[in-house]
Amino acid sequence: MPIHEKSLVAADDLLTHDKLVIDGVDVSGHWNTMMKPRYVSDYDADFQKTIQAYPGGENVHRCWQCGSCTNSCTMYAINTDFNPRYWIYLVNLGLKEELLKDRDIIWQCVSCNKCTNICPKDVRPEGVMKALQHWMEDEGHVATSPSTLFDEEFTRQCFDRGRIEDTEVIANFFRRTGQSIVDLLRTGWLGIMIARMNKWPLLGRAGLGTFLKRMPVTGPLKMGLMMVFKPRTRNWARTGEVLRQYVEEQKRLLKTKA
Amino acid sequence: MIDTVLIVGAGPTGLSTAAGVSSAGRKVVLVEKEKVLGGAPILSRYAKLVPSGEWAKDAIGRMVKRVESDARVTIHRGAKVARLTGDAGDFTATLSDGAEVRAGAVILATGFTHFDSINKPEWGFGTFEDVVTTTQVEQMVAAGKIACPSDGRTPARVCILLCVGSRDRQIGREWCSKICCTVSANLAMEIKELAPKTDVYIYYMDIRTFGLYEDKYYWRSQEEFRIKYVKARIAEVTRGPDGRLLVKGEDTLVKRPIVIPFDLVVHAIGMDPNLDNPEIAKVFGVGLEKHGFIDRAEHYTSSFASTRRGIYVGGAALAPEDIDSCISHGLAMAMRAVGDLHAPAQAAA
Repeated sequence: MPIHEKSLVAADDLLTHDKLVIDGVDVSGHWNTMMKPRYVSDYDADFQKTIQAYPGGENVHRCWQCGSCTNSCTMYAINTDFNPRYWIYLVNLGLKEELLKDRDIIWQCVSCNKCTNICPKDVRPEGVMKALQHWMEDEGHVATSPSTLFDEEFTRQCFDRGRIEDTEVIANFFRRTGQSIVDLLRTGWLGIMIARMNKWPLLGRAGLGTFLKRMPVTGPLKMGLMMVFKPRTRNWARTGEVLRQYVEEQKRLLKTKA
Repeated sequence: MIDTVLIVGAGPTGLSTAAGVSSAGRKVVLVEKEKVLGGAPILSRYAKLVPSGEWAKDAIGRMVKRVESDARVTIHRGAKVARLTGDAGDFTATLSDGAEVRAGAVILATGFTHFDSINKPEWGFGTFEDVVTTTQVEQMVAAGKIACPSDGRTPARVCILLCVGSRDRQIGREWCSKICCTVSANLAMEIKELAPKTDVYIYYMDIRTFGLYEDKYYWRSQEEFRIKYVKARIAEVTRGPDGRLLVKGEDTLVKRPIVIPFDLVVHAIGMDPNLDNPEIAKVFGVGLEKHGFIDRAEHYTSSFASTRRGIYVGGAALAPEDIDSCISHGLAMAMRAVGDLHAPAQAAA
């Protein structure tokens, strides 16, 4: 029998033969659609602990499924597939496969923290969203997110030199995320942003004089210098090394806690 | 003036009433159909009570001792009231052991009957040894060991099914049994204490851990003991090829069927009207309400009155009730009964 409410079934669970003839009757296409059995057949009791080991996930076990997080959620208002209550339930029962079906939208949490403020059991769902994203990145279920790439570059510079160079952070971030600075300057948002910051008129409307008058000089010069010399906090070498070791140790501890 | 109150039933309600009447200086005749006093907590060998956490045999045992050692209380064990004549202020009861009792007031503290899970055959009780009731788990806890009855192994995974024999029109139980949610949360924690490696899941429709039981039992079991609460009404319990029980249902929140293996399935059985209620209604001339519990008259100004003047009813004879409330009912009924003993004297004066 054809399945009418296909929208309720996950695409992977639908089986259809393009060409099928049974007893001389042509039942090609949707006439032979079948569903895979899709019952939940087990729980993973340890998954809850895995997520709790990530910062933000500590309180996930408190959830009693009232749905306050979801109905206060900024993202849910836009996309009803974005359902923190549901994901928290899957974490607590250990239904990992179900969770991974939503791997491509969990990162969309905008951290408005309305859920944090409304949750009657203080689950802190926003933290759980972060924990889930980090877990998925760690396990290789999703590509490393741009924000994680940014954080990595930021901390690398801290470890190395005890300070960051904005230009270098941004430049390396763009490189690692495959964005071309030149293109962004010429046709993308970066060019528009810089133009607005300097109150540049469109070149065609005002003369070159106005344009050059507003051209920043000392800022870019300084930025260029820093990119070459890369100053370091005094006596940083040893401090940076200790800091790096400490952070690595903390990460190891998190893993063993799970 | 007749200075005796007849109390039927020696559970928490009846024991509390007896102590109350005696403390007002009146005499009590206490009739209990079983050979031992204490009611369901003693007869069914409950473990730790909610909310005190005291062992039932200690807590209820103290209530029994207090009444047994009271000179104003006469106890008839293994006896029932066979016949009751007279009116408020002057009843005469004939007991099944032949004794005759004159009493100014009658208290019905006749309690309830545990739901018999055999009436819900799709959930496997009576078919599979490892499907048990909360009463049986109470006994396991009291004995200090959680084990599957089939082979004595410690279960790796236990589930408790709530609302077994409650909130179910199919079997004519349209009431909430009030205490099973709290009892189940309490038992789940006791299971974890005795078998820390066992995972415990509770299948629920709603969680009704009323009043202060909310955080003490529901939240604590979830947060400290990692009891998992799953919103699903179970369809059936079967056995898989490996011998483990399979619990089938629909997870309301995942919107998907579930078929989950368990080692031990526990029915959180509800409270039925006492099986003897039709007989009690006939002997005492009191009415039953639509579910079969003993009916009340107007409650606001004639508290705990049954439908017959001079006969009072309280505790789980009225409706599903927790032990603490039963004890309060008992004292309230003692007040009504002692008041009735005075009434004829005042009328004569």
